[in-house]
Amino acid sequence: MIELRSVTKVFPGGARAVDNVSLQIHQGEFCVLLGPSGCGKTTTLKMINRLVPLTAGEIHVGDRDIRSLRVTDLRRRIGYAIQEVGLFPHMTVAQNIAIVPRLLGWPAARRRARAHDLLELLGLTPADDYLRRYPAELSGGQRQRVGVARALGADPAILLMDEPFGAIDPITRERLQDEFLRIQNEIRKTVVFVTHDIHEAIKLGDRVALMRDGRLVQHAPPAQLLSQPADDFVRGFVGTDRTLKSLRLTAVRDVMGASPARARIGDTLVAAREAMDKLGKTVLPVADDEDTFVGWISRTVATGSGLVGARVIPYLVLGSPGMPLNEALALMLESATGQLAIVDDERRLVGLVTFETLFERVRRPPEPPSASEVQP
Amino acid sequence: MISTTWRYLGENWAYVGQLVVEHLRIVFLANGLAVVLGLALGIFIAKRGREALAELVLYTAGILLTIPSLALYGILMAILDALGLVSIGLVPVVIALTLYGLLPILRNTTTALRSTDPATLEAGRGMGMSEAQLLWRVRVPLAVPAVMAGLRQAMVMNVGIAAIGAYIGAGGLGQLIFRGIANTRADLVLAGALCVSLLAVGLDLALGALERLATPRGIRKEARR
Amino acid sequence: MRRNLILVVLLLGLASVTAWVTHIGRVGFFMMAPPEKLLAALREHVEIVLVAEAIAIAVGIPLGLLLSRRSFSRGAPILSAITSVGQTVPTLALVGVFSIMLGLGLRSAIVALAVYTVLPIVRNTYAGLTSVDARVREAARGMGMSPAQTLWRVEFPLAVPLIMAGIRTSTVLNVGSAAVAGMIGAGGLGEIIMTGVSLRLVEMILQGAAPTAALAILLDRLLETIGTRATPRGLRLALRRELAER
Repeated sequence: MIELRSVTKVFPGGARAVDNVSLQIHQGEFCVLLGPSGCGKTTTLKMINRLVPLTAGEIHVGDRDIRSLRVTDLRRRIGYAIQEVGLFPHMTVAQNIAIVPRLLGWPAARRRARAHDLLELLGLTPADDYLRRYPAELSGGQRQRVGVARALGADPAILLMDEPFGAIDPITRERLQDEFLRIQNEIRKTVVFVTHDIHEAIKLGDRVALMRDGRLVQHAPPAQLLSQPADDFVRGFVGTDRTLKSLRLTAVRDVMGASPARARIGDTLVAAREAMDKLGKTVLPVADDEDTFVGWISRTVATGSGLVGARVIPYLVLGSPGMPLNEALALMLESATGQLAIVDDERRLVGLVTFETLFERVRRPPEPPSASEVQP
Repeated sequence: MISTTWRYLGENWAYVGQLVVEHLRIVFLANGLAVVLGLALGIFIAKRGREALAELVLYTAGILLTIPSLALYGILMAILDALGLVSIGLVPVVIALTLYGLLPILRNTTTALRSTDPATLEAGRGMGMSEAQLLWRVRVPLAVPAVMAGLRQAMVMNVGIAAIGAYIGAGGLGQLIFRGIANTRADLVLAGALCVSLLAVGLDLALGALERLATPRGIRKEARR
Repeated sequence: MRRNLILVVLLLGLASVTAWVTHIGRVGFFMMAPPEKLLAALREHVEIVLVAEAIAIAVGIPLGLLLSRRSFSRGAPILSAITSVGQTVPTLALVGVFSIMLGLGLRSAIVALAVYTVLPIVRNTYAGLTSVDARVREAARGMGMSPAQTLWRVEFPLAVPLIMAGIRTSTVLNVGSAAVAGMIGAGGLGEIIMTGVSLRLVEMILQGAAPTAALAILLDRLLETIGTRATPRGLRLALRRELAER
């Protein structure tokens, strides 16, 4: 969909901002350009819509060389989102979103309907209320949503985003990222996204292109970037906690070990003790007759005689199969037993995550990213 | 025309010099008064609880500034005449220029006094300074650059306006221009204009330098930023 | 509310002073200007100001626009030098020079005023257009606006407040300059003031001065209102928000 062939940018004055970068971005792929400031990522992005002219090399969008198109036509086909300040303060939300449709000559009614739909897609509802407002009447997070809606205005196949969530507080940023992922799942645009934030890159990108001093250092899926950094620079950039970061990329269901051993509330304590001995465990999850998870039984409380049901340690937290491992880890630290029971929607016990499971996971480099989706 | 202007200035430097002195006297007198009045009034209206008054005073000063000089001279002459005072020459011109100079100084003083960093004030209070001490030792020194900037603006503006004062007998460089117009002598008009412009530019530069000097050393760097 | 009160009292005061001195009719030997002559002078005065202003706008805005384009950016420092020095030249001198070059009368006055007014309008247009946030401009280009579309749909609307401020200040200054032009036979209220000064007749000075002052104040308020109205609503909200956040 987008192909950069040996792209080089030398600014007047001789600064080599981008140096011989080749990159292929597939249709529907979310590509993150990542790197420290001054690494050339923004310049690379701006060369795609010709805000910055190429010095050497070629860029193809679809199957056309970008230089074969009229520059305004090229840009009208490509959505462009920057930080919220890029909104036009003198135009309403509706007018801002309808800029490219208007440039393309859409009739007014169609423009209005499109703006309305986009606001709903981005969760700015009631949309009619927002259409009439001016950017000054919105919060930072709302303005940023409008910025994304504007980039989607004429339904372009490609979206270029230059640190679009950069100027927003961390909590709102996290929420916008989640929402954008949800929207991207729906609309499947080809996205090129610039950021200097490694967390954002790992969270959003299908593949991450890490740049340094104008060169492409590594272009790989996030998991591979974390587990097999190409060199010391990448290792340093992804950080010493890269194992922790990689947890985010795996879902609980991939490691949880199905149908774990359990005690029943009707079992005798004697039987429970025997089971623990046999399994070499000090703690077992407890389920009732419908297999609903009710709590824990441990060696320290399972003394004397009687039934398990009378000694159950109530649970504090629960996990779900779709949860990423980093969240599971956080919950485990709050759990009374240091383990996390994984339950389905009917709260039936379906799995168990222990520290051993996690150790095993982070020591073994993950092969190609897990097939199952990580749901937030 | 340019060469005759130079020749005129060369031949009549003593006379022109005297006009420059007259001109400066008017401007300095008026702006001196404007600084004193502006500071006093500014400190008065910048007190907390007087926001409404401050707004009114500044608004009125703003209106005064829009009144054309010739009209203001005329109105002041009529008022002075009605009071039985000298209604021609230096007096109405100096009063008019004082009024014009008031707004920039007043506005800058008020804004600067109001915008002292609350943390700075709290620190002063915490060290046991009284409100009066806080005003004179902290807020006023910190406001000096703004007041100077207002004065500079007022001065430059008044140098030009003072030229018209010659018409009602206040003297100064305006005389040169009026004589030039009356006798269709472009060289006189240009000589007058040149001197007025040079005076304005010179005062602007000099006051700019003074402004930097008057800025307390500690906040100089910050101000430059 | 109290602001409007001040304004109304002031304007009413000036108007009644004017009416009163006109009503006197004569002081000693001297006839005051009769009402119809006063009104004619007022009309002339407004005409001088408006015509000069219109010429200055017609020349100044395109010039400022041109200078703000990147290919002319080398002209910018020259412009700022010319305007800052130009502002120090008294209008009186400009009126004088043009009266000598083009002869006494209305035409010289208008030319002098227009020349003087062009400077602030060029400067404000230039400042307004170049102060548009670079990121906003880039967003416009990045979405596929042509340079002309960027100028008319984005940059120009955002420059309106500064351009209008330039027009307002220069118009008010021109009311004064037009009064000075009375001395080169351009007519207007200045002539009445000048006659009064040469006759040492305070009443007649007032007859010209009071309506001149009222005209300046009125135009200032009027143009402020127009300036606010002409500013796009969203921009007004943004400016207000910026002010509140400071």
